[in-house]
Amino acid sequence: MSYMTPKERLLIPTYDNEVYATTGRVAIDADACNGCGMCVKICPGKAIFLSGEKKEKKARMEEVFPQCMSCNDCAAICERDAISVTVTYDFGYFFKPLHRGPMSPPRKFEE
Amino acid sequence: MESGPEQTEPEKCADWNPVERVILERRSVRSYKDKQVPEATVRRILEAGRFAPSAGNCQPWKFIVIRDREMIDEMERHVVRLCKLVRFFLDWRTSPLGRTIPLMLTRISARVMPNLLHPIPFGALCLVADGKLKVFHGAPTLILLLKDKRGVSHPDVDIGCAGQNMVLAAHSMGLGTCWVGFVMLLKVGPKWKKQLGMKFPYAISEGITLGYPAGKPDGIISRETQEVDWFEGGTKRTVY
Repeated sequence: MSYMTPKERLLIPTYDNEVYATTGRVAIDADACNGCGMCVKICPGKAIFLSGEKKEKKARMEEVFPQCMSCNDCAAICERDAISVTVTYDFGYFFKPLHRGPMSPPRKFEE
Repeated sequence: MESGPEQTEPEKCADWNPVERVILERRSVRSYKDKQVPEATVRRILEAGRFAPSAGNCQPWKFIVIRDREMIDEMERHVVRLCKLVRFFLDWRTSPLGRTIPLMLTRISARVMPNLLHPIPFGALCLVADGKLKVFHGAPTLILLLKDKRGVSHPDVDIGCAGQNMVLAAHSMGLGTCWVGFVMLLKVGPKWKKQLGMKFPYAISEGITLGYPAGKPDGIISRETQEVDWFEGGTKRTVY
């Protein structure tokens, strides 16, 4: 995988512009979600919110620039396994992540 | 790619050893119960930190335990005030100074302090200033880690080792922890510097919140794999 070009090293991206910055994204399974709100409470980026009445009360993700850092804490705390991270965060120019592979749970290697 | 060790399916990997299990299941906990942690447990966690590796066995650390709710709240207010001040000058989205000047200031500051003004902590700073994100997450106990600046080679790395030892020990006892980098703002202004003894050779490095977690935040998750260069038998290959 490539390193950074001089231009990338030089420029600081505008953090709230989707051209230079993609935040993390989570997928919430609306059928499994019971609206308990634990994910909302613990999300460090406050990217998840609750909406809807009574039985329709579900966790949803902010549409406009959620400050998700794909930490997966919401996936870990959800007792119904309704949440999973689908997109990891990615910034352009100076803050470009390097040498990352696809997401994976912990693996065990055996001879 | 060459044949490597066999990789088992994630679901079949229930048999991690106890240390691996604590490492893999540890999540940063940002919501705590009101219940205080027993003193003996905190002392036991500090012991885990005391036995961490350090360069030249220099142990360049000083731990401060804070268990007074009012004191933690006061520290939180101090951090929030400073976040609001930084935000006034640097957040081009909300600054009363308009968009152009703050954006320019942010870009220059991000050049000078790329680690502190990385988009992630910058976003967190704005959330803290808005009062949406708590600094200490309502934890009943806070452990501050001060480094001894005279430590061998890289004292900050030793602080990381000691802190992670404590964090893993805490999680193995069913407690929750979260690293709080915002405590570095406590060195701004004379009040906390004096009260917490942050004078030469000590400098604040990191903070760890400690408490009983609300809900069950610990668990195994997915995470990005990272490229690893592997030199062996005269060739180089890349593994993930």
